[in-house]
Amino acid sequence: MSGIGRNNLVAACGGGVAFLLAAMIFLFAIGRPPLTTLGQMAFYAFGDGYSISESFVKATPILLCALAVILPARLGLISVGGEGQLYFGALTGTAVVVSFPHAPIFLLLPAMLAAGAIGGAIWGGAAGLLRARCNVNETISTLLMNYIAVLLVNYAIFGAWKDPASLGWPASIQFPPAATVPSLFGTRVHAGLIVGVIAAIVLHVAVSHTRWGIALKVLSGNRKVGAMAGFSFLRQTLLVMAVGGALAGFAGICETSAIQGRLQGGLSVGYGLTGFLVAWLSGQHFLRAIPIAILIGGLIAAGDALQLYSKIPSSSATILQGLLFVAALGASGLAGRRSARHG
Amino acid sequence: MADDTLLVAGSWAAAMLRSSTPLMMVTLGETLTQRVGIVNLGIEGQMLCGACVGFAVAAQTGSPVLGLVAGAIAGLLLSLVHGVLCLGCGANQIGSGIAVWTLGLGLTSYFGRSAVGGKVSGLAPLAGPGFADVPFAGPILTQLTPIAPLAIVIVIVAGVWLYRTRTGLNWRITGESFQTARALGIRPMMVQAQGILVGGMLSGFAGAILSVDYTQTWANEMSKGRGFVAVGLVIVARWNPYLVLPVVLLFGLSEAATLRLQATGLTLSPYLIGCLPYAVCLVCVIVVSIREGRIGGMPAELVSVFGRRS
Repeated sequence: MSGIGRNNLVAACGGGVAFLLAAMIFLFAIGRPPLTTLGQMAFYAFGDGYSISESFVKATPILLCALAVILPARLGLISVGGEGQLYFGALTGTAVVVSFPHAPIFLLLPAMLAAGAIGGAIWGGAAGLLRARCNVNETISTLLMNYIAVLLVNYAIFGAWKDPASLGWPASIQFPPAATVPSLFGTRVHAGLIVGVIAAIVLHVAVSHTRWGIALKVLSGNRKVGAMAGFSFLRQTLLVMAVGGALAGFAGICETSAIQGRLQGGLSVGYGLTGFLVAWLSGQHFLRAIPIAILIGGLIAAGDALQLYSKIPSSSATILQGLLFVAALGASGLAGRRSARHG
Repeated sequence: MADDTLLVAGSWAAAMLRSSTPLMMVTLGETLTQRVGIVNLGIEGQMLCGACVGFAVAAQTGSPVLGLVAGAIAGLLLSLVHGVLCLGCGANQIGSGIAVWTLGLGLTSYFGRSAVGGKVSGLAPLAGPGFADVPFAGPILTQLTPIAPLAIVIVIVAGVWLYRTRTGLNWRITGESFQTARALGIRPMMVQAQGILVGGMLSGFAGAILSVDYTQTWANEMSKGRGFVAVGLVIVARWNPYLVLPVVLLFGLSEAATLRLQATGLTLSPYLIGCLPYAVCLVCVIVVSIREGRIGGMPAELVSVFGRRS
């Protein structure tokens, strides 16, 4: 057991060092002083109250999308559908707001959030159903459904839901105060973050301490044994994909309501993909995903700040994420091979 | 009247071939990669890299041929990352593919900024405008560049090579059983590395066809998930290079048909029509997945990546 722990530690350190080296080479290659820029990024991510709050804002959808990857992973499924579930949740949640813009807050806010979560659950659950009933690989179906969900949002905001008052800008109506997710401490951080953290804790407890967790573990190991023990692969696949989708859909409607204020394109800057990265960095572990989501949220917030102050395009944050992912996969792969060799 | 019908049919065929050539190359590349037992979802990123680098080189040198070659090399270089992660480090193939995609996405949107909105001149059509009125063949010859016939030849050569040569057999053995390949004295790791690199080269080439020959522009994320559609179509084509041809062409036909329908006055949102390639691909994958057990064709080494069948 301690051997496994040591290998994990070696992998984390090795991956971290490899990432920092790669990041410095990249920054050097684009003609930026590597150490200074990394220092700046650390400051823009967590240097003062405002940067920390912006990092938390980015971390919220990332954490929720990471949970939407981790839960299916516990059943041995690889879902890359966070982005599509986020967009579809934003779409269904906005449908409620567009239909009843004048409803009172105690009805509109819960209805909107529920609709967002249900939309995400439908989008994720569809991939789960296809996996369990038709044997369709969930990775491929979720990837394809991502593109469909983004196009459906565009269809709505360029078409029926386009706000005439927005002067040609493709966006829905401005969300009324009754449909705005409350923010925390007067910053842009909103209640979605709390939901994400609570969901992570609840899922961790549920998966590690209940019969349901055992069902997932047995089914992910051997489906036939699971069936003999009375666990249904169909039901569990549907459940994990739908619950994961609901979390990502919830992230989508929260982002639309609290951050954007209206449904518009560019709702997510690859949060689904980043959530996938966070899930893998955490080793598909719910609790570890919380700090990692905040760290990566900081990386993205720093990328935005660098674009603003140092004119470094924010796509550099995507490159850094890619490098981080490569470094982490390489290090954990090598460590896994080492532990296999040494027993 | 008959001539008109033939002209319309010809221009349909031309549109179908033009729009499906990039997809044909990337699907063939992924087919060959999966035949050696490796799944590479990074082809989406490799395609973007090929499109971006190919466009930049074609714009700089003024030579579309150089652009296409450079695109293929760019795709190959990015696929090296997948090779090192999967084979060198033993990383998970799906995770590694997504990492390569992220990298390609970031690199192209970073370094492609200056090329956005630019324009290059593609390859010359097969025949001059004088042939435009020749029934059926006219529109094909005047609208198609040499790339489409070249792509078809590449697909057929790949099929012949895979099924009729000794090295092709070695590739198929590696995809079916890593251990058997090793026992036969084939170095399976080398074969898998080659499979990844050939797939990388073809996906980069596909990207360059897209930017240099087809749209003749560069835009961020211009491959729009064609790489993932290709991964789906590989399953539909049952990992058979020959079947890539009809599958991709039928797919291209459905795309061309909707574009034509739109032109006839059917008012449908372009965003809804944009969903069609993904939806058609998904439906095709569903249909063949239901019949999975009866059709077969999946290289056995892939089962560990794609998961057990129920």
